[in-house]
Amino acid sequence: MVDVSDFHCDYENKWCPGCGNFPILDALKQALADQGLAPEDVLMISGIGQAGKTPHFLRCNFFHGLHGRALPLATGVSVANGELPILVSMGDGDCYGEGGNHFLAAIRRNPDMTLLIHDNRVYGLTKGQASPTSERGFVTKIQPMGVRSDPLNPVALALSQGAGFVARAYCGHKEQLAGLISQAMDYKGVSVIDIMQVCVSFNTVNTYDWYKKRVYDINAQGHDTEDWNAAMELVMAGGDRMATGLFYKKDRPCFADRVPGLAESPLAARSYDPARVQVLLDQA
Amino acid sequence: MGIDVTVKVGGEAGQGIQTVGDLLARVCHGCGLYVLAVNDFESRIRGGHSFLQLRISDRPVAAPDHRVHLLVALSPRTLDMHLSELAENGLAIFDTQEQTPGDNVVSIAVTEMARKAGGAIMANTVAAGACLSLLGAPDSLLENVLKTQFQGKKSGVLENNLKAAQSGMQAVTGIDFAPAFAWPEKKPAGKLLSGAKILALGALAADCRFAAFYPMSPATDIMAGLTGFEDRAPLVVEQAEDEIAAVNMVIGASFAGVRAMTATSGGGFALMTEGLGLAGITETPIVIVNSQRPGPATGLPTRTAQADLRFVLHAAQDEFPRFVLAPTSLDDGFETMGRAFALADKYQVPAIVLTDQYFNDSVNIAQKSLTATESLKRHIVTDADMDDPKAYRRYEITDSGISPRALPCAGQALVMVSGNEHQQDGHISETIPDRIGQVDKRFRKLTAMEGEMRPPRTDYPDSRVLLVGWGSAAGAIRESVDMLRSEGMDAGGVYFTDIWPFPQQAAEEILGRCERFYMVEQNVSAQLGGLIREKTGLKFYQAILKYDGRPFFPFEIARRVKAAEEAIDG
Repeated sequence: MVDVSDFHCDYENKWCPGCGNFPILDALKQALADQGLAPEDVLMISGIGQAGKTPHFLRCNFFHGLHGRALPLATGVSVANGELPILVSMGDGDCYGEGGNHFLAAIRRNPDMTLLIHDNRVYGLTKGQASPTSERGFVTKIQPMGVRSDPLNPVALALSQGAGFVARAYCGHKEQLAGLISQAMDYKGVSVIDIMQVCVSFNTVNTYDWYKKRVYDINAQGHDTEDWNAAMELVMAGGDRMATGLFYKKDRPCFADRVPGLAESPLAARSYDPARVQVLLDQA
Repeated sequence: MGIDVTVKVGGEAGQGIQTVGDLLARVCHGCGLYVLAVNDFESRIRGGHSFLQLRISDRPVAAPDHRVHLLVALSPRTLDMHLSELAENGLAIFDTQEQTPGDNVVSIAVTEMARKAGGAIMANTVAAGACLSLLGAPDSLLENVLKTQFQGKKSGVLENNLKAAQSGMQAVTGIDFAPAFAWPEKKPAGKLLSGAKILALGALAADCRFAAFYPMSPATDIMAGLTGFEDRAPLVVEQAEDEIAAVNMVIGASFAGVRAMTATSGGGFALMTEGLGLAGITETPIVIVNSQRPGPATGLPTRTAQADLRFVLHAAQDEFPRFVLAPTSLDDGFETMGRAFALADKYQVPAIVLTDQYFNDSVNIAQKSLTATESLKRHIVTDADMDDPKAYRRYEITDSGISPRALPCAGQALVMVSGNEHQQDGHISETIPDRIGQVDKRFRKLTAMEGEMRPPRTDYPDSRVLLVGWGSAAGAIRESVDMLRSEGMDAGGVYFTDIWPFPQQAAEEILGRCERFYMVEQNVSAQLGGLIREKTGLKFYQAILKYDGRPFFPFEIARRVKAAEEAIDG
């Protein structure tokens, strides 16, 4: 039996005390244990930022790559071996800013992987600049007059582009998050979980208290996850309430299903056949 | 003297100039002749001025000739621009229904004849018929090629093309064309292929299973060459959203266990540099082809250059070992791709293959047979190779600098990889011993990597004067050496494929013996010449440089060396 403690890692944790990443990590371990996966069966690809460091604090295989580029790297892994359970850990700046183009492309390509976007609306690792999801007017050291741009709505963006598994969670509600991660891992294709996260060091606006007053679980209220229009309405609704949960779920062919033969046998698993290559070379 | 004839076909983009060249090349190839077809085109799909220059010989040819024996002008602009290039006994065919003044210009209503045969689109077939007839080729040769090409197409297509070819042939009946020759009846001398295609075949033969790219001239054709095998080989070719994605996908695929590559030109390579560094610090084997074109920025997008050597040697922040290889011919291109994948795997480093527009787009004859490697060495370990898989460390310090490479989720061993500097198990580390230990570990590979480097190829290496170049310029240099020798100069040639790690000892030995050497490069600062000086202390006497975007002609190299030598002797 796999237990949450199997995923504990001796490597020194480098997040700030009270960081919203801790409950996310707890939920992640819970989901992996619920999935019955052993650490050696788990692969996490991550970008750069505090979210990018996640795999260092979790026993698993990992590739901690470049800022913004976790998704194409994970896509390459998935093409080579689509049988691996791939988790991608990114931050809001990482996934929606530097890697925005890859986010769009990943939804279109639909490789089988779970996207965990730690969205704290601020840049933590570089000490507090605005992120793509910072509210207009959000004051930082480098934006003393407040952020001039409007925030990106990542969940609406994912829905609008046809993503087949779109969810939003709040880091303070670990059980809900663990459940969503587990469901996302069961889903074949790109699954997007925007995780609203607290940054105790650089975001004094969107705090635990701030979120607690606003979040509610749409799945507990009977939201129909097959109703795209209803999902969009929930995501676009203004006001003081913030919907969390699984907004939308729909089966789509994943990348491996779109390449003949790839779903049956991963590229990495096939043996080298010089005779077959020679036939192709002779025909050239 | 044997056969050495150059045909130039020019017109507007979209007129099917490449088709004429393709037909002629296939006819020549089919009866055992050697050909080199060089494409010269503008960055546009229609209009403008493009041409194709086909050199036909009974000996291998690897550079275009500056003399044109037969000019086919499908537009007035072609005639204006290129008539002066005609050799003394040359002839131009001009597509017009009017009479053209001049002894060396024949008016043939190519397009009109094509229309009569069934459509203006067949102008290229008419032109091919006229050319081959003038060159003395039996009619059956073109007819056979057309039959192969149009077999199984809609009814009438083959018949119309045969009619078009016939009218082209008849139109030149009775014209005495001095460069005509007796056509051999030999077997093809090898495979007729473009440089881009041979690189794709080289990658296929090396068991490349994933290729990601973003379209960019002149590299896209390499990927087009690979795509054709997707349904018959374990291979996926994916068009990425940008070059940054392409290189990161390739790194991911390699990390997961398959050989992977990308191909681009300088601008795309610029976008890939951070990824190149990621492959460097994570010790992930990847192959990147940079098919050079003149820059900076967009530069001359459809033309050729050898100006990215310094760039690829140093690309990405800080330092890490890498291979840089620049194939000098089609045969070399096939072999180089295989070596790039094998070396990248063995040393867990990125390997960069440097070609250029001239190399990629030109069609030539690959003489060596294309052979699949019998067994591939992947240098990958599994749990079975380890005493204790749970204690596996991806970046273990070793004497060779090469750490055992396991694949993720392949066993008990956890594979932990980080683009941050790391400790031996792969976790981030900022300690001084880890930093120095890992940098030194990576650089310890260099000694063995240097040992893998082959010395440059040479012609007459003991000569008084040596002409030195790299990559695709080798063909023109080799021929210019022959020209100089035929005029009595004691000249030889040196051609580098393996550039980094620099084969210092071999370079020192060869270049240290001559009286003086000239660099011949398609850039503005003699980039290899600078590298040779840096690594050997040997300084070139003069550099023959060309950076107008057009490939070298052997005669221009020979002329400039001769002038420099005469200045010394005088």
